[in-house]
Amino acid sequence: MTVKIRFFARFRELLGTDIMTDVASGTMFTSLIATIARKNPAGYAAIFDEKGAFYEFVILMKNGKRVELEDAATTPVADGDEIAVFPPVAGG
Amino acid sequence: MFSERELERYQRQMLLFGGEGQERLKKAHIFVAGAGGLGSPISLYLAVAGVGTITIVDMDVVDQSNLNRQILHFDRDIGRKKTISAEEKLQGLNPDITINAIDVKIDESNAAKLIGNADGIVDAMDNYPTRYLLNTAAIAKEIPLFHGGIRGFYGQATTIIPGKTPCLKCIFPKAPPKEVFPVVGVTPGIIGTIQANEVIKYLLGSGELLTGRLFIWDGMQAHAEELCVERNPACEACGGITGSKTPARKKK
Repeated sequence: MTVKIRFFARFRELLGTDIMTDVASGTMFTSLIATIARKNPAGYAAIFDEKGAFYEFVILMKNGKRVELEDAATTPVADGDEIAVFPPVAGG
Repeated sequence: MFSERELERYQRQMLLFGGEGQERLKKAHIFVAGAGGLGSPISLYLAVAGVGTITIVDMDVVDQSNLNRQILHFDRDIGRKKTISAEEKLQGLNPDITINAIDVKIDESNAAKLIGNADGIVDAMDNYPTRYLLNTAAIAKEIPLFHGGIRGFYGQATTIIPGKTPCLKCIFPKAPPKEVFPVVGVTPGIIGTIQANEVIKYLLGSGELLTGRLFIWDGMQAHAEELCVERNPACEACGGITGSKTPARKKK
């Protein structure tokens, strides 16, 4: 099955966006994002802490609905899902 | 009532929203938190549009490194207080409005008092802790918070109507780490102008506000999009409150 991952702002600079990827059935949200992010160590380090958990400021959405960080490891992705990963943009 | 000078000044926009709309702008008081990258275009456009009272707050002094984006301040202002520079420019652009420029750091103890009886708060800050204070004040006062944020070529904006839309904490519950953020002046120019446009529409009571929608700008791709955002019923800042006032129609 295929899902689309969209990164925003700094995450986009480091990892690109609109990444279409084939995933096995039962793949969880966190492991999917981690796999994609590992393609650039700086991208991974911007999203995940040293224990491999999402930084608490990261915002996750699936098909326009928020996925809570604590649920991400147990939330499976489904065929056709569109996943958004973004940081709050802080400058002014 | 308007003077001859005001009628002439606002002639082209009164073609859009008439004397009644212009009167709404004139009676309004908007609080702009920050006179930097976002605060510059926001306050400039609100001033020339004829928003009657603008309170603008900043604690900083103009630095050379500000000048690539903070277009309120000129080379000759380096070393001067941003509030003094801002007041001079805004009043120079429009002598028929009132500018309150306050040189202070916004903190928990003074936020509500500084905002006073303003009709709306514009977020032109560069950090989330202060943004959360503005969010709390907007909820307490039941006035809108016009949020904007930028980094590099990227920006975001949304309009928060307490009790009706998600608040800033619903959307961004945790602050990102502090950093010296890269930025090119056009980005706050774009996002700040969107925020000012939201303020004007809100005061006029017309158009569709960026409510429940996070506007996201990617200047590198020249691409804008929006994400739907929802209230968090368990939000520590706004959970449980419901809006009692009708937004955009509140009259003084």
